[in-house]
Amino acid sequence: MCARDHVGATVKTQPFLRSFVTPAALCALAFLIAMAAVLQYSLRAYIPGSLDPGGLTLANFTALLKPLYAQVFLNTVWICFLTASYTLIVGYPLAYALVHVRNRFAKSAILITVVTPLFLGEVVRTYSWIIVLGNNGFINSILLQLGIIETPFQFMFTRFGVVVALVHVTMPVMVIMLAAALSHIDRDYLEAAESLGAGRIRAFATVTLPLSMPGIIAGVTTSFAWTFSAFATPQLIGGGQVNMISNLVYQLGFASFNFPFAASLCVAGLALTLAVLSLLRLATRPLEKMGPH
Amino acid sequence: MPRSSFQRLLDIGGTLVVLAILGFLLLPAIVVTLAAFNDKALLSFPPQALSLRWFAKAIAYDDFREGFGNGLIVTIWSSTIALIVGATFAFALDRYQFRLKAAIEGILLSPLVVPHFTVGLGFLILAAQIGLMRGYTIVVVCHVILVLPFVLRSVYVSLRNLDRRLELAASSLGAPPHLVLATITLPLLLPGLVSGWLFAAILSFNEFTASLFVTAQRTQTLPVAMYNYVREYADPSMAAISVMYIVATAALLTFANAFLGLGKVLNVEHGR
Amino acid sequence: MSSTAADMRRDVPQAAGGAGDDIAVRFSGVAKRFGDVVALNDVSLAIRRGELMTLLGPSGCGKTTLLNLVAGFFSPDAGQVLIGDELVNNVATYKREIGMMFQNYALFPHMTVAANVGYGLKMRRLPRADIERRVGDVLALVKLAGLQERKPRQLSGGQQQRVALARALVINPRVLLLDEPFSALDKNLRASMQVELREIQRTLGVTTIFVTHDQSEALSLSDRIAVMLEGRVRQVGAPAEIYAQPCERFVASFVGDANVLRGRLDRVAGGEAIVALGDARVKVSAVPLTGLASAAAVDLFVRPEQMQVSDAPGPCASVGTVAAQIYQGGHVDLYLDSVDSVSGRLLVRLPGHEAMTRWPIGARVNISFDRDTAVAFPA
Repeated sequence: MCARDHVGATVKTQPFLRSFVTPAALCALAFLIAMAAVLQYSLRAYIPGSLDPGGLTLANFTALLKPLYAQVFLNTVWICFLTASYTLIVGYPLAYALVHVRNRFAKSAILITVVTPLFLGEVVRTYSWIIVLGNNGFINSILLQLGIIETPFQFMFTRFGVVVALVHVTMPVMVIMLAAALSHIDRDYLEAAESLGAGRIRAFATVTLPLSMPGIIAGVTTSFAWTFSAFATPQLIGGGQVNMISNLVYQLGFASFNFPFAASLCVAGLALTLAVLSLLRLATRPLEKMGPH
Repeated sequence: MPRSSFQRLLDIGGTLVVLAILGFLLLPAIVVTLAAFNDKALLSFPPQALSLRWFAKAIAYDDFREGFGNGLIVTIWSSTIALIVGATFAFALDRYQFRLKAAIEGILLSPLVVPHFTVGLGFLILAAQIGLMRGYTIVVVCHVILVLPFVLRSVYVSLRNLDRRLELAASSLGAPPHLVLATITLPLLLPGLVSGWLFAAILSFNEFTASLFVTAQRTQTLPVAMYNYVREYADPSMAAISVMYIVATAALLTFANAFLGLGKVLNVEHGR
Repeated sequence: MSSTAADMRRDVPQAAGGAGDDIAVRFSGVAKRFGDVVALNDVSLAIRRGELMTLLGPSGCGKTTLLNLVAGFFSPDAGQVLIGDELVNNVATYKREIGMMFQNYALFPHMTVAANVGYGLKMRRLPRADIERRVGDVLALVKLAGLQERKPRQLSGGQQQRVALARALVINPRVLLLDEPFSALDKNLRASMQVELREIQRTLGVTTIFVTHDQSEALSLSDRIAVMLEGRVRQVGAPAEIYAQPCERFVASFVGDANVLRGRLDRVAGGEAIVALGDARVKVSAVPLTGLASAAAVDLFVRPEQMQVSDAPGPCASVGTVAAQIYQGGHVDLYLDSVDSVSGRLLVRLPGHEAMTRWPIGARVNISFDRDTAVAFPA
């Protein structure tokens, strides 16, 4: 019987309770109010030339059904899906290496390399990819000089370019989540599988992969949500050719000052994210059952 | 093929794949460094001549200087407030039962999935309605909300790893609750608090999308200034400032890894 | 050293209420549940001033909960906990003037040995010089003089335990609470620490409540033992009493080794009963057998050292075959196969080492036992 359980079960007094919860409650309230403001604006009419919204209306949401906007929504979800899939495929070996590499220095090096992009911010990362992918950029210069191609590859202003940069954005969080799941898999299972005669590939497919399923689901989910939130990358690399909801929101807000419509895009986008994420959960539930839970 | 040489092939193949992926992660940083030291204004590879002129230009650029200053102000305020709010709430979360506990926790963690442009738009509308458009207040509040989930997780994990018997021992020795907190809990939580603050600060300093919505010309932070620069100019000053950014961030993270154990701290973001 | 002990000895006030009132800690009708789990069920127990009372029982019996109620880590659901004359049900831990030693010692990792030991004195706002002197004295008492500036992680397990003990003692607690303090030590160190703890406890005369699941530890250390099971105190008494006169099956089997033999109730006369086993008639207490008819089946509990074996023909309690011999240095443990044993096996403990040659494996032996030392319970 450990003391912690006892104390946790019946706390006699809760010193500092009020002063410790109040600041957090105020922050939560502030966030709720901000979100309520978005919801409220999404239901108000747009008065051209005025920053103040008009009366209550559903017009913003009916306007979202126009093919132009529906296309942006589909495009956004598709980009999110591509990014999450590629990030998973590329991130898995790295997470595996991070967990299984023995050398401490190599482990730290991998960890720092993986994590640094997470903290660099979207602008620096996006700018860097512009120099890599641009028509006069690194890849095209090298390929041209080597004579492999005669005219530059068009990476910029394409969905491919946007997705490559976004994969770079979501990779850290994917690797961290996969590594967390992989590090909790008991090595004994693997050794047991191998001692039973399973080759390493078989052992991986029958033991490691199913057991890391919770990490895969968490990683894909987060990667999806982050991509949905991305703004600078589609804005600068997509250059108006590849539009996501974030770009539309910004454009409506700061170019046309149509805040009510921007708000309705946010609300619809949030609803869409939640819908896709819960669908993803639902679809992967049978997979999750393969895992340890 | 004999089994052992097949295994070795697998090992070598695996190593190559991992190196290639690390290369993909590092490529932008390497390329941007090459561009920053390139003497020419136009991007060209490999660089013909090296120079530091883009660094000098970047440092001298007013918008960058002001953005850096604004960013520091916003970062220090927001990460410190987030640390206090997050640490106290993590403590209450770990120890206490109270009304709306799950609700408050859920709301404070939700910025992890709510797109930043939505958060930014929300605070922009809010600021417009209560007349806070031009000040730092709304930027700081917005950043506090955005980095709070990370602080909360970091401190919460440290609290979970704290042996509560140490606090019980202190109170059995006659320490009232506030002295237990001051002499036992806080000193032992210090690494978690420092790393929580550090991550909050890095995230706040780099936050872009929401900042774009809530900053005004006078309060724009460095990422916003950089974004505006990229849209208008194409010279490598931007590469130079990116290099400074990358070096500073990597240095901070290496420091954090050495002193606080990054691996431990990062388990934080898993299993939400 | 002796002056230190004198300094630290608590002046035992003469109890106002009369001679029988010299009680340091009293539980009356205490109950505690955690969710659906009943941890304590109507526990009443009095701990005398200066004694070392052991709470003994298997894990989950409620002994740690009882200890934590004295520490004040939570309040009882019902009943009263008194320290001295003070009702402490709702008194916060830090106001209770207790000393507690935790299972893992709970030394503050960020403080030196001196700061750990002096922590309680600092909380009592003693002058720095006094703190230093008293810390030095108590460290000398636990034989750690000179280690003031070490950090806990630089100490061995035994040294850490001494620091924990010193830290709990230096504040002159009204009660010293020990939560399985020896479980983390290896066997040799454990024995010497037990002796030392007992010496210090006697010297200082500090009332001590000691929690353990190790019955041999309880027998060797305690003034009295409270045996607990499923949230209740089953028997309270001196070690010898618990060992020789267990009041129920659980106590008889949990404390010490016991052989259980199938016997038959012969007759009951006054407070005594006679149990028949083979040719033997064994006198036992009649209390546990109340209401049993003559010739009813009973289980006879006999300690291994109270049994004898012989090869001389004649009346005996049972017969058996030697199955194994274990040489233990001072004595020999003989394991016998016997149909009268409930488990099929009997353990006989014979002094010296002659038994090794005298009773080879496979030997048929007659078993008898010392009269009047057994106890019996309904089968």
